[in-house]
Amino acid sequence: MATAPKTRKASALAELLRSPGLPLLLTVSALIIGLAALLSLVQSSDATSTNGDVQRLRRDLVDWQARLHELELNVASLGSLDRIEREAKERLHMTEPKETRYITVDVPAPEGRKLPSRFLPPQTEQGRSAPSLWERLFGWLPLP
Amino acid sequence: MVQRRRSGNWRLWVIVGAIAVAALVMTGRLVQLQIVDHEQYASQARLTHMGQETLSGRRGALLDRNGYPLAASEDTYDVMVERRAWQDPAVAAQAAAAISAVTGVAPEQMLDTVAQTQVFEVAVARGLNYEQATQVRKLGLRGARLLCSSRRVYPEGNLAAPLLGFVGQDNVGLTGLEADLDDILDGTKGSVTYERDGLGDQLALGHRHEVPSQPGADVVLTIDRYLQRLVEKELDEAIQKHQASGGSIIVIQPKTGEILAMASRPSFDLTKLDLSDESKLALFRNRAITDQYEPGSVFKLVTTAAALDLGLVSPDTWWHDEGVVRVSGWSIYNWDYSANGDQTVTQILSKSLNTGAAWLAQQVGPERFYQYVDRFGFGRPTDIGLSGEATGRVRTPENDPDNWRPVDMATNSFGQGITVTPLQMAMALATIANDGLAMKPHIVREIRSPSGRQAVEPEPLGQVISPQTARTLRQMMGVVVDGIPTYLLDVQGYRVGGKTGTANIVTEGGGYKPDAYISSFVGIAPLEEPALAILVKIDEPKDVPWGTVVAAPGFGRIVQAALAYMKVPPQEPALVSKPQ
Repeated sequence: MATAPKTRKASALAELLRSPGLPLLLTVSALIIGLAALLSLVQSSDATSTNGDVQRLRRDLVDWQARLHELELNVASLGSLDRIEREAKERLHMTEPKETRYITVDVPAPEGRKLPSRFLPPQTEQGRSAPSLWERLFGWLPLP
Repeated sequence: MVQRRRSGNWRLWVIVGAIAVAALVMTGRLVQLQIVDHEQYASQARLTHMGQETLSGRRGALLDRNGYPLAASEDTYDVMVERRAWQDPAVAAQAAAAISAVTGVAPEQMLDTVAQTQVFEVAVARGLNYEQATQVRKLGLRGARLLCSSRRVYPEGNLAAPLLGFVGQDNVGLTGLEADLDDILDGTKGSVTYERDGLGDQLALGHRHEVPSQPGADVVLTIDRYLQRLVEKELDEAIQKHQASGGSIIVIQPKTGEILAMASRPSFDLTKLDLSDESKLALFRNRAITDQYEPGSVFKLVTTAAALDLGLVSPDTWWHDEGVVRVSGWSIYNWDYSANGDQTVTQILSKSLNTGAAWLAQQVGPERFYQYVDRFGFGRPTDIGLSGEATGRVRTPENDPDNWRPVDMATNSFGQGITVTPLQMAMALATIANDGLAMKPHIVREIRSPSGRQAVEPEPLGQVISPQTARTLRQMMGVVVDGIPTYLLDVQGYRVGGKTGTANIVTEGGGYKPDAYISSFVGIAPLEEPALAILVKIDEPKDVPWGTVVAAPGFGRIVQAALAYMKVPPQEPALVSKPQ
């Protein structure tokens, strides 16, 4: 009684093994598996590379901030009163005034010195970048 | 057969037992490695595979009132080398030579540093700037990395050095404002822990944990760099001209109590600190607040203010000067031993008569006299917020009833037998300039941090004398200045008032230092709408002792330049043109 289905399965398997399309099927299957494995490898490699980029950019950011602070201090040193006086006397050959004249002028005072940008109030966000594909997809869903 | 089988079983059991013992030993060793000594081996492994860096929070800057940095931190880099990476002498010599070419540090010095260290890694070069750091990074040296650090720089050089103070190698404030504001200026340190490869570089997909650092706040001072430089220049010139041992100049904005400039000498070089020489430690103190002295005749302003405010005298009240006043058996003479006959109260001030000041104090009486002395802020710290502030010494019938004598009040009335700090005297002057309203002195104007700004508002302390008394006293101070020869004090375009002082120097033993004086001048400008209250104090001038000759000329030059800088319009006749 139970031997009939078993016999049918065995014959189907034998038929499949004898099928001329089997090598193609196996090749395609192997290719799919290989591609899937390769995809994972590519993804892993891409993540590694991106992480490396992030770390490099993070280090660059720190370096550029250091450079920025260095330049800020260079500006401050170049604007020091000692240097201004030295430049005025030695390079521009200016001398101390012998006479003082007081003249009132109807002109507003010049703007105050600008502070380093890190201490200015945070700027308001001018406009957001375009929504991503996922944001647009979620936008279509009837979510609350 | 049975005998042979028993013998075979015995051998089998020996082998099994040996294997069991070996297994037990191995298990025990594994337990020791994995459980008992786990932390030790784990930390060794972490040291090899995990890197850790401390992220220093950037120290805040000290800015002048207009935002110019007086002290700020510059990011620098230290070259750290792992000891094991330089174990091969040839490799180490090559790497040291490469680093030396960039940093200028001798290769032998770097090799010695690494050879002598007992720790995992050591700094072989410190304080590299951005360009140098970039070059070292491009070298790609095995076992070498750059560690972020910082150093304090002073764009204005030694300006206000005793006031600003300095930081140690660990960026902790040691003296001056750097120490007093250390909690505000100091940033919060962070750290980053990461897995690294054989070169010591961070693994791309390795473990990484970062606790970010927080920068310290910038502190905006009330100091104006232009005025500070101006007063330091005048102070240096006066000291040099009169071969003085030192001095102080303080410039105050009377309406707010803001310190616009505070200079003291002798000072030190901020860029070439020498902390090893103990004899130079005294240079680090801010003498404008730490040193106390007998103010001399400038204190007659306080005595006169008390008498005027109580309505006991007016500027034109007459008094007869016999050249001597006797108090409890003591005789008090004028500085020049003169007897001037009938004199007004204004003349007591303009001629700086000690006898007149003693007479005024007697009119006021000890209780009320010392009340005014206290209300003007003498005998206690001003609470400006700077550490090391002296209180001054005021002996009163209340605080020293056993030793106080009536003659003490008489001598106190012209500034002897009482000690004050330059700041206390300057603040008393500022009170007169501010129509009698005392303001709390302050040196910090604003604290700016990424999270917000915190402004320091002017704080009134109380009405010391009436506005009318203050205005009257200012006019009398104008008369004092009118009596000074113009070649010594001449401020073009503005009317100014002031008072000179020449005082003896008290020794530690209690007597006076022979032939040594403190010459001072306190002044207000302009007299009608005071914008500045200035104290000039020169210690131990060698040529002449008089405040009129030594201190007043500097006051005049400071006022002339400062009022123009502050855009304070001069009196009408001085104007060349007016806008249409």
